[in-house]
Amino acid sequence: MDIWQKLNELDRRWIYFLMFLSILFPTIFVIKFPVELTPEAEQLYNAVEALPDSSVVMLTFDYYASAMAETEPMSIAALRHMWRKNMKIVTLTNIPLGGPTIAERITRQVAKEFGKVYGVDYVNLGYKANYVAVMHGLAGSIESIFPTDYSGTRLSELPLMQKVKTYADIKFLYCVADNATADYWISIVNAQYGLPVGAGVTAVMAPKMYAFVEAGQMTGLLGGMKGAAEYEKLVGAPGSATRGMDAQSMAHFLIIFLVMVGNLGFFLTKKKRKV
Amino acid sequence: MESLSFIEHFQIWLRAYLILSLFSFMYKDNRFYKLSEHIFAGLSAGYYVGLIWQTVIIQQLINPIYDDGRWWLILPGILGVLMFARLIPKWSWISRTSLAFYMGSTAGIYLITNLHGFILPQAVSSMVSLNPGNGFGATLLALIIVIGVISTLIYFYFSKEHTGFLGVTARVGIWFIMISFGAHFGYTVMARVSLLIGRVHFLYFDWGESIRQIL
Repeated sequence: MDIWQKLNELDRRWIYFLMFLSILFPTIFVIKFPVELTPEAEQLYNAVEALPDSSVVMLTFDYYASAMAETEPMSIAALRHMWRKNMKIVTLTNIPLGGPTIAERITRQVAKEFGKVYGVDYVNLGYKANYVAVMHGLAGSIESIFPTDYSGTRLSELPLMQKVKTYADIKFLYCVADNATADYWISIVNAQYGLPVGAGVTAVMAPKMYAFVEAGQMTGLLGGMKGAAEYEKLVGAPGSATRGMDAQSMAHFLIIFLVMVGNLGFFLTKKKRKV
Repeated sequence: MESLSFIEHFQIWLRAYLILSLFSFMYKDNRFYKLSEHIFAGLSAGYYVGLIWQTVIIQQLINPIYDDGRWWLILPGILGVLMFARLIPKWSWISRTSLAFYMGSTAGIYLITNLHGFILPQAVSSMVSLNPGNGFGATLLALIIVIGVISTLIYFYFSKEHTGFLGVTARVGIWFIMISFGAHFGYTVMARVSLLIGRVHFLYFDWGESIRQIL
């Protein structure tokens, strides 16, 4: 049996092990591969930067805990960027499992860094079922869809929500998502109510979203961990995405190598298989 | 890093246990994996029921009726209850009233959403000028968009056999579709690797810190 046949019959668990090592190695020994900026990430950063200080923005946490490695750094970087400009932030989620608690934990964590006060500088509306109905309903009255915030406080008791009643009181919607809700923020809230939308999405979703950026339906896009690392670079606060990009690059090198070896083996053993 | 409390240590160790149990499936199926899987399924179902009860039934139905006197909300409430008639075969036909209402309203909302939010803006953005005036590069990109859109649409035109000019154009369409699949696959690989990175970072940094502090 030659080497190609041996490789062909290699137990897949060895590949899992190599993949694990390719991620662990750069985690221990930091390499610092450069993170190049894409025009879409810069567009999103510039859109937020162009908003007047103290503007009200809506930030969504439309992702499950499973996608946090990609999306959490986007949310943290977005909050840092917005609060650096002293913006008022209304957060919500359309994801039942994890979304409300992730939003609560992250906003409170970053708020502490900037000394922001709950109810005055930010409000977490929490979760409500049926996102299409929620998106349409918020256009009429935020309070009718979310009578209370995530903690159960009535919106009428929160100073920030005295002046934020509908989309008309919000300047920008920054959507961080790992699912189709991003499409609906664009097709409902941007298309029908005219609110500018920018998004940070998981890498799986990113190729589809470029069409919305190209069509002008979206103002900027962050795609996956790379997009998150770009935003961290733009905000000037490297975090977990920047730290993860070394491992990302190493894993990609390994996958490319394995694809090449696999194809080479396939063609070199083709003749033998025919025989 | 500041000193972790007992609860924080416990949370980190529990997360580490669940992660390692689930990863153990990559070696082979085992009891640790199954236990973690069942814990996840059970917790998710319980949490979801509680969340929907509080945020929808209490906040959107019961409170507005009792506190604000919005009695007309009883009507959608009844429609919701009627859905449960499906559980009794003899009365399952009653649930069709609710389903008809749901399907009718959903179809109407999605028709407008898809037309206004997806089809028209995307069609408009596909109708690009072949001479955008930004040099040869921009013209080339516009040409690629035009050829890509037309050839892909022709590939999905099945009312005539794909031979001759139609066949060649459809073949070009396949190439565009394949390139699109390649881009999607590349991004999907990146996404899955990112998830693994997140877990490895948790194990190395958070769990590692907890172990260091305990030792």
